[in-house]
Amino acid sequence: MEDNKRVVVTGLGVVSSVGIGKKTFWDAILSGKSGISEISSFDTSVFRCHRGGEVKDFDPQDFIPKRKIKFLGRASQLAISASQLALDDANLSLKNIPKKRTGVIIGTTMGERPLEELIQVWVKGGLKDIDRLRVLQASANNISANIAIYFKAQGQNYLFPTACAAGNYAIGYGFDLIRNDNLDYILVGGADAFSYYAFIGFQSIYAMAQEKCQPFDKNRKGMMLGEGAGILLLERLDLALKRGANIYAEILGYGLSCDAYHPTASDPNGIANSLEKAFKETGLTYKDIDYVCAHGTGTALNDKVECQAIKQVFKERRKDVPISSLKSMIGHPMGAASAIEAVACSLVVKEDMVPPTINFEIPDPECDLDCVPNTARKKKVNIALNNGFAFGGNNSCLVIKKFQE
Amino acid sequence: MKSPRIVISGVGVIAPNGIGKEEFWEALKEGRSGIRQISVFDSSLFKTHLAGEVINFEVEKFLGTKGLRNLDRSTKFLCSAAKLALEDAGLQITEENTNDIGVITATTLSVIWNVADFSREAEEEGPRFVNPAMFPGTTINAPSSQVSIKFKIKGFNTTVSTGYTASLDALKYAVDFIRLGRAKVVLVGGVESLFFQSFVGFYKLDFLAGIKGEEISCPFDKRRNGIILGEGAGVLVIEEENHARERNAKVYAEVLGAESLFDAYRSGRYHPYMEGLKRTMSGAIEDSGLNKEDIDYISAAANSVPEQDKLETQVIKEFFEDKAKEIPISSIKSMIGEAVSASGIFQLCASVGSIDKKFIPPTINYKESDPDCDLDYVPNKSRDQEIRNVLINNFGPGGNNASAIIGKYE
Repeated sequence: MEDNKRVVVTGLGVVSSVGIGKKTFWDAILSGKSGISEISSFDTSVFRCHRGGEVKDFDPQDFIPKRKIKFLGRASQLAISASQLALDDANLSLKNIPKKRTGVIIGTTMGERPLEELIQVWVKGGLKDIDRLRVLQASANNISANIAIYFKAQGQNYLFPTACAAGNYAIGYGFDLIRNDNLDYILVGGADAFSYYAFIGFQSIYAMAQEKCQPFDKNRKGMMLGEGAGILLLERLDLALKRGANIYAEILGYGLSCDAYHPTASDPNGIANSLEKAFKETGLTYKDIDYVCAHGTGTALNDKVECQAIKQVFKERRKDVPISSLKSMIGHPMGAASAIEAVACSLVVKEDMVPPTINFEIPDPECDLDCVPNTARKKKVNIALNNGFAFGGNNSCLVIKKFQE
Repeated sequence: MKSPRIVISGVGVIAPNGIGKEEFWEALKEGRSGIRQISVFDSSLFKTHLAGEVINFEVEKFLGTKGLRNLDRSTKFLCSAAKLALEDAGLQITEENTNDIGVITATTLSVIWNVADFSREAEEEGPRFVNPAMFPGTTINAPSSQVSIKFKIKGFNTTVSTGYTASLDALKYAVDFIRLGRAKVVLVGGVESLFFQSFVGFYKLDFLAGIKGEEISCPFDKRRNGIILGEGAGVLVIEEENHARERNAKVYAEVLGAESLFDAYRSGRYHPYMEGLKRTMSGAIEDSGLNKEDIDYISAAANSVPEQDKLETQVIKEFFEDKAKEIPISSIKSMIGEAVSASGIFQLCASVGSIDKKFIPPTINYKESDPDCDLDYVPNKSRDQEIRNVLINNFGPGGNNASAIIGKYE
């Protein structure tokens, strides 16, 4: 394929519960660090669960001028900061690249925090107390718009609220827009702030663990809510080569599918379908895959169904392909999850290191795959799959390849 | 012209001035307004009381009686519109073709009702005792997901939330997916619904007509002073030309091009020269392979906000130059209000009617001319005219702009 139709990752930005910035994040996940701590965003005393993957030590002033911060909800603050990190990492500034050929696409689950604040004001009965600034920043589309306004990116701008798989939807369509010659550069990824309503919701469906997240473990108790932002700068290959950019990885394609089955429960056939579609689009087969970054939420059902799908797709190779869950460490940062995981996959193919699934104690016969228990592993990874599944039976699988000219 | 060609084969619409495409097109032709006293919540707290509210909507007529309990107003609108569109397209969804069919839905604000409802329950029952069945509805993509579940559509399901431009942004996404070979058929939808919390939001921003003037949606008219909110849903079935031919589908029109671009100016503000809108208009025309001269009608984004209608006029004049005065331009928001992320899909559904039934819908409530808005807005009365190519615009304050072109299929 010609270089102007190929899309590469040249900048990575992460704000996560295990660390801020690519290097801190990567060191943390390779050393199996957990980002789970006592929740401080709101009072959890009436609930069963008190722990989650909040981003600690995040000061928006490290990235954004103070006068701008008060106009931004937390999801936007996280997303702009991660975008700044990605641009710095790519050694690019919008001052030096064509703004009209630079776009922004963000995925989110819960949208912006000012909406939650407004709703709380309303429920407590105070129409008078509703303030204009919060109203302006309440709708979810502010996240992608705020990034574009902050960096002056004038290309396409999308916000995909496709729940817990949203990051992959954003990265995928960003890849399409460059491939279609709509854009040369795009900031893609996901962002979610620690959400009170997501917390109440997940506890109401008994999906949350109390202590730790243990994907694929026989005693897994559920997911841990998280927050964060993951942003990738995608760039047209010929432009990246011309400026001598540091290329992490190439995006080869992706597959989307819908279970069309249930609002919350997932279906192994639907998941397998998204993987098969990713293969079809990229001309690969299950034999080509070296690593799978699992959706792996740590709920009894998700991990079982994901493993069923992996077995169905990988057949005789099912135990040969390492499949690990970053959510064991970072928690589940909702719409940012698959974006942060795509950041990790880009580093996996660059560094040939596979991050572990931590908190793994007792194997589950229903999840009898190689989940890279507890310790990172050196392994040559040419091609990684990044899984992301969501409410509504929406499945996505992104294919990330080691860059070779 | 890009390949493959993409055609529109099904229309489903639940609008304030008509349910079903026939009723909707007839209302547009007759200049019938769907703007009325709000009945879905008590508006007595406010100075303004009108909206484009959907009335006489009986969801059971479209979806039967089962499985409706946990669906909100938006999901009921959207699934009903999808049902109408699928029936209109005569498209059977089977295990064989379902993987080639996708859903993309535009919606931004509709989720707020669910979050508020969930929140109210948490306040009343205690946050530990919320009804878990309400939780999935708090994600913005819930209405779209229900379309896939109800009609067993497995190809893909995506939601786009970009405010005022979401429907045309969704159309571009669908067009790209068909051109890339990811789908043969896509249901392109848009939905918003009317409820207290979003009304409060617009009210607090002084965005509504009637706060500082007459309470009326009168795009391009001198008296315009803000929006009247609208609601409802529309769904178009669009498909690869050959797919439509093979199944002998009736084709209403062709999707020729779409573009969506951002003005990175200021949050919640219009770019003073609407750079982005100029770029999306020219981008959509380029994408369609047409020339400016081929546009016979413009379905405007004008929503009765003083700045918006003036800026759109200005951009059309700059872009079409001498020809600007000859192109009929109308805003159906004069009849249905500003339905935010659903506005674009209403404009698309209306424009399909314009091509199919050969008429231009009017801009109603037009009385006092404004020197800043001096083009042909098809005032008050529709016009019988054969239409070949329609340019549709979507924008609002904040930076998003989108344009699309649909044309007569030959």
